[in-house]
Amino acid sequence: MNISYNWLSQYVDISCGIETLAAKLTMAGIEVEAIERSGGIPAGIVVGEILERKPHPDADKLSVCRVSDGKEELQIVCGAPNCDAGNKVPLATIGATLTDKSSGESFKIKKSKLRGVESHGMLCSGRELGLDDDHSGLLILDSALKTGTPLTELFPGDTMFELEVTPNRPDWLSHWGVARDLACLLDKEASLPEIKAPVPLKNEDTANLVTVLDQELCPRYTARVIRNVKIAESPEWLKERLLSIGLRPINNVVDITNFVLMELGHPLHAFDLDKLSGKRIVVRRAADGEKMTMLDDSKLSLKPTHLVIADAEKPVALAGIMGGLDSGVTESTVNVLLESAAFFTSNIRASSRELGISSDSSHRFERGIDWNMLETASNRATSLILELTGGELVTGLVDIQGNKPEFKPVVCRFERIRKLTGVDLSNSRIVDIFKKLRLNVSDIDEVKCVVTPPSFRLDIEREADLAEEVARINGLDAVPVVPVTSKSVASFSKDAYTGIQGLRDELIALGLYDCLHYSTVSDKSALSDSRFASEDVIRMDNPLSLDLVCLRPSLLGEMLATVERNISRKNLDLQLFEIDNVFCANPQKFPEERLECCIVLTGHKHPERFSAERRELFDFYDLKGLTEAWFTDRKIEKFRFEKAEDARFAPGRCAAVMIDGKCGGHIGELNARYSAKFRSEYPIFLGVFETSAILKAKLESPLYSPLAMFPSTTRDVAFLAAQSLQHQTVVDFIRGARLKNLEKVELFDIFTDEKAVGAGKKSMAYTLTFRSSERTLTDKEVNEAFDKLREKLSSDLKVELR
Amino acid sequence: MSNPIIQKIDSALSVAEAKLLNAVTEAEIEEVRIGIIGRNGLFPALSKEMGAVLPEDRKEVGQAFNTGRNRFQELLDAAKQRLAAGAGGKSSDELDLTLPGRLRKLGHKHPVTKVIDDSVAIFRRMGFIVADGPEIETVYHNFDALNTPADHPSRDPGDTFYFKDGRLLRTQTSPVQIRVMESQEPPVRIVAPGRCFRRDTPDATHSMNFHQIEGLYIDRDVSLADLKSILQAYARELFGPNVSIRLRPHFFPFTEPSVEYDFSCIMCGGKGCNVCKQSGWLEIAGAGMVDPNVLKAVGYDPEIWSGFAFGMGIERIAMIRYRINDIRLLYENDTRFLEQF
Repeated sequence: MNISYNWLSQYVDISCGIETLAAKLTMAGIEVEAIERSGGIPAGIVVGEILERKPHPDADKLSVCRVSDGKEELQIVCGAPNCDAGNKVPLATIGATLTDKSSGESFKIKKSKLRGVESHGMLCSGRELGLDDDHSGLLILDSALKTGTPLTELFPGDTMFELEVTPNRPDWLSHWGVARDLACLLDKEASLPEIKAPVPLKNEDTANLVTVLDQELCPRYTARVIRNVKIAESPEWLKERLLSIGLRPINNVVDITNFVLMELGHPLHAFDLDKLSGKRIVVRRAADGEKMTMLDDSKLSLKPTHLVIADAEKPVALAGIMGGLDSGVTESTVNVLLESAAFFTSNIRASSRELGISSDSSHRFERGIDWNMLETASNRATSLILELTGGELVTGLVDIQGNKPEFKPVVCRFERIRKLTGVDLSNSRIVDIFKKLRLNVSDIDEVKCVVTPPSFRLDIEREADLAEEVARINGLDAVPVVPVTSKSVASFSKDAYTGIQGLRDELIALGLYDCLHYSTVSDKSALSDSRFASEDVIRMDNPLSLDLVCLRPSLLGEMLATVERNISRKNLDLQLFEIDNVFCANPQKFPEERLECCIVLTGHKHPERFSAERRELFDFYDLKGLTEAWFTDRKIEKFRFEKAEDARFAPGRCAAVMIDGKCGGHIGELNARYSAKFRSEYPIFLGVFETSAILKAKLESPLYSPLAMFPSTTRDVAFLAAQSLQHQTVVDFIRGARLKNLEKVELFDIFTDEKAVGAGKKSMAYTLTFRSSERTLTDKEVNEAFDKLREKLSSDLKVELR
Repeated sequence: MSNPIIQKIDSALSVAEAKLLNAVTEAEIEEVRIGIIGRNGLFPALSKEMGAVLPEDRKEVGQAFNTGRNRFQELLDAAKQRLAAGAGGKSSDELDLTLPGRLRKLGHKHPVTKVIDDSVAIFRRMGFIVADGPEIETVYHNFDALNTPADHPSRDPGDTFYFKDGRLLRTQTSPVQIRVMESQEPPVRIVAPGRCFRRDTPDATHSMNFHQIEGLYIDRDVSLADLKSILQAYARELFGPNVSIRLRPHFFPFTEPSVEYDFSCIMCGGKGCNVCKQSGWLEIAGAGMVDPNVLKAVGYDPEIWSGFAFGMGIERIAMIRYRINDIRLLYENDTRFLEQF
């Protein structure tokens, strides 16, 4: 909401200055979002009198003037055509700062020389002062003005504050409302000009003037009839008020209703009585499908949930929201019906939202209005209409009232207020704050008082609401900073956060980059993971765009988008991961929300290197090794990799990661159907893990194994085997032979070479390490075990020993 | 007392050894060699004195003479070898020390994760424990139990994502407050970091997906002063000891009194600059004393228990902390961006 400084100053003394005022408002909970100054004149400009004009000796267009500033005579060089002796004009004295409105640049007036002649100031045009756009010559001032008068006195200007008013405080939605609160903050008195109920010239019959058919939605409706108004432009003062807060003046009657709205906070509506069929008002619910054209020319089709102000036949206004096109006050209006009413807040809010119409009026009605102000506003507007339009009041106040809202007294325990606010306030200070806020205080004793809110404070219902008022008015800066005591509430259960943080830290230690994506994704992204069918995906009922309708069932889709984005930006070497929630609609497949972990490796392993390593690309075994390192670090004991088929991966290049016999995820090379469009020739490796499986498998406290005290002995074995023989099979076979004292089995060489080893074959070589924890092994016993193994390899595994 | 000749050999050798160890040129070594075994060096000179040694000492001195000379030869050879080997290492070529190192790179933590981790660590030091809750929430937990009126604008389908079954994507981490209070008796002291969703059209400062960290402290006699103190401690831990905090009155349905809190501008220290729009303050988030209606909704007696709650946007803090000017950068995962954290 916009507030004008000048306007506000009509009700309360705000001579504290604009900055202080803005700070006070903000610290009282009325946040000042912007301050806009208008029409002000910079300091240092005074009324100057030109005493003499002489031509400049060296310039045709310049004059040399003798100018009085009221104290002394100054020589000033001027280029304006009208700097004639006798004129009183604005004089910018040395030191004044002017701002060029078009460029926004400021310049300071200094003593200078123009073509060799000294000039001690500057005579100004209207445009140079920012008053108007006239730059044809100097601004000629009234000759009756005293020379030397500061121009700030003649053109005071105004300041507009843009306020953010929280929804609980509709009483701040007017100048008077802000002034009332401000008075309390500034410790001043706020007062309204006296508003009396205008006396009608005659009393026309009003028995059928207003009918309220739904008193629940319209608990109070008042009307007055004013005849023979002369619709015209509003007087300057009224136009100035509206313009000062950015409203456009229309005509005197409409401007008055807007002025009263912004002054007192109560919305009014003026109807052209002669345009009301039957010359009467009926407040009723709309008929289903009833049509109406609004002031802004929009056409509505209404429903019975919408409250309308109707005449004898048709709706003429959407109650509390906006007037209709044909019933408003125009230049031809002669007789006016002035409405001041109260409407049910929730109904106005619902209708306004449903129909997509909001106005200054609906903004206030949906937050709640002051029941008592309703009549004051009508009085104020009526008086102004009579005064400014020459109209005649022909009725008293027609006032149809339902149930008056109740304001329940609230008990306020002083100690409770002190405890909630943390501020040590005396009882009397607390009571004083309430009184200043115009709350009604009664039954004051040692421990409590009773507070009854006035009709404009709809937000005060409980003790906590009073605590807020005390904290607010006493100032939150007065809330002390106390030592932080950690009287912690113990919890010994492990939180999910710690587990996930651990996983993230481990993957970062392994060189991966932590990524973050949106959970809300497109169908295409969601279904890119072949594990999910369309019906497995959770969709929002009201997505922001049809593009982002799903909750991601997997991290894959968005991670691939990140890979593609990076590749398109020539970031070809990627080591990425994400751990976050994913969603599934099918409880047979997955829980609704669960954590997933996604890893991507692609491009160069060592992009920063300069030697042969520079060319090394990530391959499957890097991802596998990373997984092994990660799991080993978590002391996960029982995991292995098994061949798997999965449409996300390239055929034959996917392994299921089995943790304790259960599948905990997959790793492998990304299927080319995803990567074909990427502008990168490097293979992409993908790992997708069930985070919970990895969290669960962690061994928190591994047991120490004694360090070997005796030396080890190694034996190498090499053989030719069929291409299909897998390393894991060899290791399992050797382990299965249960050789005495065998400590380790390590592959140290593997190659295929058709010429050397024959087609369809490969050479594999292993180092076996033997060690005893009790003694140094003899060659003899190691050889015995080793020979037994060689025999078995040859006879049972059918390999060709070399 | 040993023979003066032996003493001479010992002291000369220790001087020579030090010189040889420090020698960096052939000439230095040669100089030492001449001084000890050169024609006019120590040993030729001593051999002339040998005749004067008492017979009973002769054996001992002779031995010392020979071991001394052998020892010197060893030192000499070692020094020559060292010099020949270059810098004194095993390999002989001089290295180009300016070549790039072989990095053992760590990965990078996302700035949002960093702020969450750092914030949680700070609040844990103040005795808070970490709680969490689901992202698909019930209307009850996200709004009703938080004292949000039935027609409050935040519930509008224009602002909140709903599902067919009536549930929604949580718009704040505050429902975690309710879930925690439903599951335990007071006192409560938790923080809950997590993802939230609002139906905002994305731009440089708005995102449909964002993160918050929620705080809740319920105990006997908790006051606004405790809230202010804890938030100030947080601000100082995160942004440095000179940051101050300001509370401003505000309105939220689930707190009363409600406040917004600002940190003094970390760019200008409060003097006013472009970042804080000349105000000297950076608006951080909302907080307040838990509304009695919220306490009642979870079965806590507001006559006995009071407390505060706060929530703040992680992205906002991250953008201030790392001077990031567009929230969308946080979700693009450009590696050139991630590498900066």
